[in-house]
Amino acid sequence: MIRFIVADLKRLWAGSLVIVLLVACAAALGIAVTLQERALRLGSARAADAFDLVVAAPGSETQIVLASVFLQPSALPLVSGSVLHTLSQDPRVAWAAPVGFGDFYGQIPIVGTTSDLVLQGGKKTLTDGRMFSKRTEAVIGAKVEMALGDIVTPMHGLAHEGGHVHADATYTVVGRAAETGSPWDKAILVPIEGVWHVHGMEGAHGLNLDPHHGEQNETVSIGEPWTADTPGVPAIIVKPKSIGDAYRLRQEYRTASTTAIFPAEVLTRLYATLGDARALLSAVAIGSQILVGAAIALVAVIHVGQKRSQIAALRAFGAPRTSLFIIVWSQLLILTTLGAALGMGLGYAIARLISHLLKAESGVTMPVAFIGSDMRMVIGLIVAASLLALGPAALACRQSVAGALRR
Amino acid sequence: MSDLTLSSVKLCYAGLADPVLDISKLRLDAGSHIAITGASGSGKSSLVNIISGLERASDGKVLWDDVDLCTLSETARERWRAANIGLVLQDFYLFSGLSALENVLLPVRLGRVRFRVEHRKRAEHLLKRVGLARADQPVQTMSRGEMQRVAVARALVTKPKILIADEPTASLDEASGLAVGDLLIELAREEAATLLVVSHDAQLVSRMERRIRLSRGKITETATPEYAA
Repeated sequence: MIRFIVADLKRLWAGSLVIVLLVACAAALGIAVTLQERALRLGSARAADAFDLVVAAPGSETQIVLASVFLQPSALPLVSGSVLHTLSQDPRVAWAAPVGFGDFYGQIPIVGTTSDLVLQGGKKTLTDGRMFSKRTEAVIGAKVEMALGDIVTPMHGLAHEGGHVHADATYTVVGRAAETGSPWDKAILVPIEGVWHVHGMEGAHGLNLDPHHGEQNETVSIGEPWTADTPGVPAIIVKPKSIGDAYRLRQEYRTASTTAIFPAEVLTRLYATLGDARALLSAVAIGSQILVGAAIALVAVIHVGQKRSQIAALRAFGAPRTSLFIIVWSQLLILTTLGAALGMGLGYAIARLISHLLKAESGVTMPVAFIGSDMRMVIGLIVAASLLALGPAALACRQSVAGALRR
Repeated sequence: MSDLTLSSVKLCYAGLADPVLDISKLRLDAGSHIAITGASGSGKSSLVNIISGLERASDGKVLWDDVDLCTLSETARERWRAANIGLVLQDFYLFSGLSALENVLLPVRLGRVRFRVEHRKRAEHLLKRVGLARADQPVQTMSRGEMQRVAVARALVTKPKILIADEPTASLDEASGLAVGDLLIELAREEAATLLVVSHDAQLVSRMERRIRLSRGKITETATPEYAA
């Protein structure tokens, strides 16, 4: 019987192929949506891993996360330098690093910070070169296509948004940071003092109050200690010593002049929104699967109709109705199972491709992986198909043999 | 050996005033060779369908020993047909993609009987008997004459008591038709089966022991009148 079923499918290979591809496309759509949403969630959560607590001036929490974790261009109000000073002195804080943005080199964002953030307080090492030690030096992210020794001329804002060049300040690339799977891989990291200098904000922190005399002053010390006169920064990344400290710090820095957020918490809230979008996409995918199911049912009915005389002949030769039922039903089941398997592969490939494109765009690594519930979805699809196939299979057995053989 | 007796058999279809088949009495002796002729629409196929259990008569009795086919359920008729009827049709109904042997064995493979080595041996023997040397030849590569020989072998694989051939030579050339006719007659004799041939082929009809002519559902002529009333 198996030989007959396979030979029959081979004989009708074109129609079989169409059914397999239809099922594959429907399954791939659903799987790609699910996988991609999960990849986005995992990837962005991992990107935010290094950012335990962000202290900034009061404002939109989402905007603060997008700007500080995902380096999306956005003008954040500055938080006073004295906050940075206080935080760096706080015994509950392992390290506190300022981040300053606004400058670009071509499309690459230039982020002012300290070695604490780049090296995660000593937990990470550079893959190449050394850490910046002067205001005019820079470390590039793992995915920046530049070489050690290259010169970076910052431009304020993006060129196509009417940015202007800071021709009076340049950085020399001296090191390359390890990969983080976050947009920071595609950024140029410079000492925060460089950003202050470029924007004429050195103020009390730098040794020289007069920018005209302070230009290219490579002897300026960088990093801590901060003072109460340190210039303002858009955001401060804080590494608390313990989880308890993290919650206490967040509580304390939610004041009129500062806000403190856990990026992970903000992302969770974003995912809830994302989840709604996914529910919608899933509904679309399920809708398409139902349409494909209906199309297959139609194809199956036509197929059984075309094979009417063949099926009738088999019965006339003595094949019982149960055999014919099994033949028609299992053929449809084989086709849908093949389609579902192919769709899984296709959906995975699509999700991988999208993740790859998104990573190229944003720098966020998005891991695409199957989990148990995906199998449930695929099995659900196959079960639904096997139920749908019952109709045509029953039809094949109910027809009148004499009528079908009559010429 | 069992005879088949039809009495007062009528086959009516809804919407048709006259029955498509109306036979008061017909007896088919076991092992006899019978030709059924008549114009198209005369009820030949209906008669064959009733005898093979593919259709149930609206009225009357179709007796096989003590069993009345008209009282059997569809499943029971299905079993009866699988056990007792071998069928050869004008259009062969062989399944391409399968070999000659696989086609011959299909009724066994799809049937309720458990497949045994004897079935394969019998199928191979029958293929040799109908003159086909290559049992593994795919049927789609065969000539029409060869295909009908495969169909004859298939009809006999389950050792049926009644071999029914519905226009077995109509789609064959003269030489092939003659050869298939010979095979049907010889094999029916060898297997001691009743042979029932529906045909327009005068050559084939003339070689049957008995001829029944149908017209508008009724027997109008029979070469051995004592059987018909």
